[in-house]
Amino acid sequence: MSKLVQLEGIGRREIVRGLALALTSAGSLDLEAAQHVHTETAADKKKTGGVYKPKALTDHEYKTVSRLAELIVPADEVSGSGVDAGAPEFIDLLASQNAKLADIYHGGLAWLDAEMRRRNKTTFLAAAPAAQTGMLDVLVAAEREERTRRGEELVYQRSADYRNFAGYTTKRPGEFGPGVVFFDWVRRMTVDAFYTSPMGVKDIGYVGNRSYSKYEVPQAALDYAIKRSPFANG
Amino acid sequence: MAQVQRTPEKFDVLVVGSGAGGGTAVHVLTAKGISCALLEAGPMLNPAREYKEHKWPHDYDHRGAEEGGKAYFGEGKPFGFFSTTSGGWQLEGEPYTVAAGSQFQWFRSRILGGRTNHYGRMSFRFADYDFKPYSRDGLGQDWPITYDDLAPYYDKAEEFIGVVGTTEGLRSAPDGKFHTPPPPRVHEVLTQKACKKLGIPCIPNRRAVITRSINGRPACHYCGQCGRGCVTASNYSSSQVQIFPAMRTGKLKIFDNAMVREVLTDGSGKATGVVYIDKQTRQEREIRARVVILAASACESSRILLNSKTKEFPNGVANGSGLVGRYLMDTVGFGLSGFVPALEGMQRYDTDGAGGGHMYMPWWLWDQHAKLDFPRGYHIEFGGGYSMPGIGSFTGRARQMGYGKEMKKAIRQGYGTNVGFAGRGEMIPNIHSYCEIDPNVVDQWGIPVLRFHFKWTDYEWKQARHMEKTFAEIIETMGGRVTGLSAAQRESDGISVPGTIIHEVGTARMGANAGNSVLNGYCQTHDVKNLYVMDGASFVSNPDKNPTLTINALAWRGCDYLAEEMRKGNV
Repeated sequence: MSKLVQLEGIGRREIVRGLALALTSAGSLDLEAAQHVHTETAADKKKTGGVYKPKALTDHEYKTVSRLAELIVPADEVSGSGVDAGAPEFIDLLASQNAKLADIYHGGLAWLDAEMRRRNKTTFLAAAPAAQTGMLDVLVAAEREERTRRGEELVYQRSADYRNFAGYTTKRPGEFGPGVVFFDWVRRMTVDAFYTSPMGVKDIGYVGNRSYSKYEVPQAALDYAIKRSPFANG
Repeated sequence: MAQVQRTPEKFDVLVVGSGAGGGTAVHVLTAKGISCALLEAGPMLNPAREYKEHKWPHDYDHRGAEEGGKAYFGEGKPFGFFSTTSGGWQLEGEPYTVAAGSQFQWFRSRILGGRTNHYGRMSFRFADYDFKPYSRDGLGQDWPITYDDLAPYYDKAEEFIGVVGTTEGLRSAPDGKFHTPPPPRVHEVLTQKACKKLGIPCIPNRRAVITRSINGRPACHYCGQCGRGCVTASNYSSSQVQIFPAMRTGKLKIFDNAMVREVLTDGSGKATGVVYIDKQTRQEREIRARVVILAASACESSRILLNSKTKEFPNGVANGSGLVGRYLMDTVGFGLSGFVPALEGMQRYDTDGAGGGHMYMPWWLWDQHAKLDFPRGYHIEFGGGYSMPGIGSFTGRARQMGYGKEMKKAIRQGYGTNVGFAGRGEMIPNIHSYCEIDPNVVDQWGIPVLRFHFKWTDYEWKQARHMEKTFAEIIETMGGRVTGLSAAQRESDGISVPGTIIHEVGTARMGANAGNSVLNGYCQTHDVKNLYVMDGASFVSNPDKNPTLTINALAWRGCDYLAEEMRKGNV
C-alpha cells in the first residue's frame, strides 16, 4: 500500500493543503491517482486466493527460481528470504513482459539443470541442498577467477553516472560462462526484489521517505562517527 | 501542400522553450503587462499525475525496473523510473548526428518546464573574474558584461526562486540572498573536517530549495526527492514557479507540442514570428509577434537560427558573424567514491534531507594558477548516506560477496558507508567543439538536424587528473579508501563523455563586437533587433558554476532591457 507521505512533525491537513495549492496551479487535481497505485500482482493474487500463478515460467522453472532466491537471500535472524520478499513473482512478471528476459531465464535454468544432471543425475531443484550450494560455489569461484584475471574491481559496468551508456560487458569464457552470466541475472534481480520490498527496507534500516517541518541530524550518530574517525581528537 | 495556418492572434512577445530562460522571460514580461505566447516542443506538465514523489519501489510490481525490466537492459529512463518526466539522450523520431571521431551526448527535454523539472538545483553565482577569463589567462573571450552588471539580477532571481546558502565572503563563490540551509549530515561533517585539514573550503550548498514559505509555496518538507519533481513546489522548476503563476495573469498563452522550425523575417532585418509544426496534427503553423525570444536550450536555439535561411540571412538568421553553433562547451566531470569505516555500524537516521548535497566545495585555488598545470577550476559536489533502496543499489556488493547469509550481512554493514565525490569543472572553449546542420538528415517533422563535433583538450584532462588526486586525498584523510574506479577504467574513462553533465552552453555567444559574437550583453542578436536568445547559448565561457541560475539572471536582465526598448518603441 502506497503511503503518499509519512507524517511526522507536520499535520496531514497541511500537507494536503500544500499539495492542493501546488496542484491547482497545474489546472488539475488528481489526488486519487496520486495516492493509490494498483498493482497487477496484487490484483492477480486476489483472484487466485493469495497464490501467484507464474505467467512466463513453467511450474518447474518457477520452483527452481524460488529455490535460487532462497539460497541467494536466505532468511536469517533479521529478516526473511528472497522468496518471502516476492523475488520469484518479480522475475516472472518482468519476464512475461519481455521475451529477451524470458529467454535468459528459460536458457539459464535449462543450463543449470543440464549441469546438475551431468554432476548428480538430477535437476537443480531435486538435488540435495549441499549439491545446490556446491554448484553456486563453483559459479561464484569462476566469476571471481574472471575478475582477478582481468585485474579490475568493476568488470560489469561503468560508474553509476554512465549507467545508461553502452558500458562494460561481461564476457566470461570457459565452461561455466553461461552459468556465471545467468547466476548474475538471478542474483541481481533477487537482491533488487528483496531490498526494494518492505522487508528489505526494514532489514537495512532505511528510515526516510517522510516529511518534516525541520531537518535534524542526531547528535549520537555524529558523535559515533567522529569518535571512530581520524578527527576523534579534533 | 496544405496552406500554412496562421494563428490569428498577434502577441507582443513569442518565447520558444519553457525551461529556465523561457520560464523567466514569461514571468518577467507578463508581470509588466506584456502579452506572451510560449511554445514548448513537448506536452503540458501535470505534476499530480507525473511526479512520483513519496512513492516506494514496492508500490510498483516492477519495483522501478520498468516494464519488462527495461532498466536492466540500459533502456530505462535516464535517471531512473522515479525521476520526473524529463526527456532523454535519444528522442524517438528526433535524431542528431555526431561527426566521426567525436563523442557527444545531447540531452533534450520535451515537457513544460524542460530540464528544470529534474535538474540538480545547484545555484551558484559566477565570480567576478569569471566574466573576464581572457583578461586573466589569455584563453577564450571576455564577457561583454561584468559581475556588477549581473549582480542585481542574481539578487532578483535568487529572491524569487529561493536558494539556500550562507554568507561566506569567498571570491570564487559570491554570496547571495539565501534561505537558511539544512544542517550537514554525518558524512558531510566528516568530509568537511577532512577538507579543513587539506585547506579546501567546504561550505553549505547553494540549491534552489526553499526553507521558508514564499509566494504561496510551502517550505521544503525534507523528503530528499527533488529529482522526482516536487508536488509542493518547494524547489525551483520553471513550470511550477514561473509559468503556472504567469498563466494566472491572463497575459500568457501556451502552445504545447509545438516544434519550432524557423524564425520568420520580413526582408528588412526584422523578425516577424516563427513557423512551427503542431506535433499532434503534423500541421505547419505560423505565429506572429513583435519580438521573438529563443530559449529552446543552447543547441536547439542554434539549430533554429541555422535553419532560418533567407536571401538576407544565407547562413541563418543572426549569423552574420558565422559563430552560431561555435564554441560549444560542456562541464568537465569526474567522479570517485570511497568506503569510510567511521560510518560503519552507525545508528540509522533519515539522510534524505533537502535532497542533493547539503555541503559543497567551491574552487579554492583561483589565485594559485602558477602552481597548477591547467587553467580555471572546478567545484566538488558529494553525496552519501542511507538512500532509499532501488534497482541496482546493492548489485555491486552482491557481486563481491557471492550469495547467502554472508552477502546479506555485508550489504547491511556496508549500507551508507560510501561517500562519492563529483568534480564539475570549467572547459576552455575550442574550435573543434561545435554543432552545425547535418546536410543529409531531417527529423520526423522534416527539420534538418544537428551534427556535433567535440573534443576535450589537455586543459580538461589535466583538470580531471587534479580532481582525481584531490578526491583520493579527501577520502584518505577521513580514514577511508577509494573504491570507485579501477586503474584500467581510469585510463579509458577518466573524464565525462561530452554532453553528459548536461551543461551544454555557448553556440551563440554574447560579445561587444558584432563580428566576433552573436548577441550583445542583453541577449539581443546583433543582426536582428527584435530577436533574442535567452538560454545557455549566450555563454562566452562555462565557469565551474552550474549554468541555470546564470540563465535565470541573464534572461531577467534581458527582459528588463527588452521591455524598456518596447516602451521606447525601439523594437
